[in-house]
Amino acid sequence: MLNNQQIFEAWLEGSISDEQCARQLTPDSDWYQRFVSAQMIRRDASAPLFEPVPDIDTSSMFRQQWGHQRPSRGWQNWWPQLSVGMSALALIISISPLQLQLQSGALALSWSQQQDEQQLSTMLASFQLEQQKYLQQQLAISQQQQSSQLIMLKDYLSENEQKARRSDMVELVEYLNQQRQADWQYWQDNVQPSQARLNYIPTAQPSRDSH
Amino acid sequence: MFKRSDDSLIRQALDGNERAWQQLVGRYQSMLYCYSLRLMGNADDARDLLQDVLLVLCRNLAQYRGDSSFKTWLFGIANYRAVDMLRKRKPMQDLADVSDQLCDDSQNQEQQLDTVQRQQDVRQQLKLLPPEQRLVVELRFYQQFTFDEIAMQLAISSNTAKSRFYAALDKLRPQLEVHDVEQSANF
Repeated sequence: MLNNQQIFEAWLEGSISDEQCARQLTPDSDWYQRFVSAQMIRRDASAPLFEPVPDIDTSSMFRQQWGHQRPSRGWQNWWPQLSVGMSALALIISISPLQLQLQSGALALSWSQQQDEQQLSTMLASFQLEQQKYLQQQLAISQQQQSSQLIMLKDYLSENEQKARRSDMVELVEYLNQQRQADWQYWQDNVQPSQARLNYIPTAQPSRDSH
Repeated sequence: MFKRSDDSLIRQALDGNERAWQQLVGRYQSMLYCYSLRLMGNADDARDLLQDVLLVLCRNLAQYRGDSSFKTWLFGIANYRAVDMLRKRKPMQDLADVSDQLCDDSQNQEQQLDTVQRQQDVRQQLKLLPPEQRLVVELRFYQQFTFDEIAMQLAISSNTAKSRFYAALDKLRPQLEVHDVEQSANF
C-alpha cells in the first residue's frame, strides 16, 4: 500500500498517469493541492521557451584558457587521420588491380591486369612442366626399385628352397642310415643266431645211430 | 552524421580543439540561458550568469572526471553560481520583460495568449519563492533531474531536496488557487 508521498513521487517519475494520481490523492486535500500546483508547473515546463541566446564570445574564452596547448599537442591529432588514411589506401589496393611491388629496392605501384594474367599463365605452364618431369622421374625410380626388389625376392626364395632341399636330403640320409643300422642290429640279433643254428651239424648223432 | 558524446568533445577540447568546445557549448547554451532567465528573472542577469557559468566551465573543464553525467556536473556549476548571484543581488526584479518577449510573438492568437498568460502567472509565482526552493523546483521540473541528482549538485541530502521541493509547492498553492479562482470567474 503506497502512501500519498509515494503516489505523488510515482507521478513525478512518470510511473502513473495524471488521472490515476488525481484519483488516489483526492481524499487528502493537502496532497491533492500539491499535485495541482506541480501539474501547473510541469505544464509550464513542458511548453517550449524559445529565447534568443545572447552572443557570448566563447572562442576568446577558450583560446585564453586552452588555446596555448594546441601547437604542442596538435601533432597528435594527425595520427588518427593518418591511420584512417593508410587503412583506406590499403583497402583500395587490396580490392583493386593495383599492385605494390618492390623492384630493385624501390616500391612500384602498378595497374596492369593483363600483364598479371600473362605472368600467371607462364607460371602455371612452367609449373605444369615441372610437375610432369617430376612425375616421370618418380615413375622411373619406382620401376627400378620394383625390379631390384623382385630380383632380391627371387634370390631369397631360391636360396630358401635350396636350403630346404639340402636339409631334406640330410634328413633322408640320416633316416636311411638309421634304418640300415636298425636292420644290421636286427640281423645280428635274430638272423645270425638262427642261421648259425641251421648250419650247425651235431657230432653226437652218428653214435645214437650205432645203438 | 553521428553525434559525438560529451566526453569525446571534452577530450578534444582539452587537446586544444576549439570546434569541439564550440560544439559542447552550443549543446547546452540555450538550456543554460533559459535556466538563467527563469532563475534570475531578467535578461541582463541571465546573460551575466550564462557568461559566468561558461567561463567557470572553460576554466574547470579538465576537472570533469565523468563520475556523473556532464549535464549534472555543468548544472552543479550553474547552481552554485546562480545561488551566489541571487544572494548578492537586490530583491527580485520583475519578470515582465521575459513575458513581454513571449507575448510579442503570440498576441494574435487567443489560445497562445492564454498559454502565455498561464506561463507568466506560474513564473510570477515561482519568482516569489526563496532562491533555494526555486532552484529545486527549476531543477526538478525544468531540467528533469532526480532528487538524488539535485542533492548531489547542491551538496545536500536527498531528503532536504525533497523538503525544499514540497515547501515550495505548499507556498505556491495559495497563489495558484487564487489564480484559478480568477480564471474561473472570468468564464
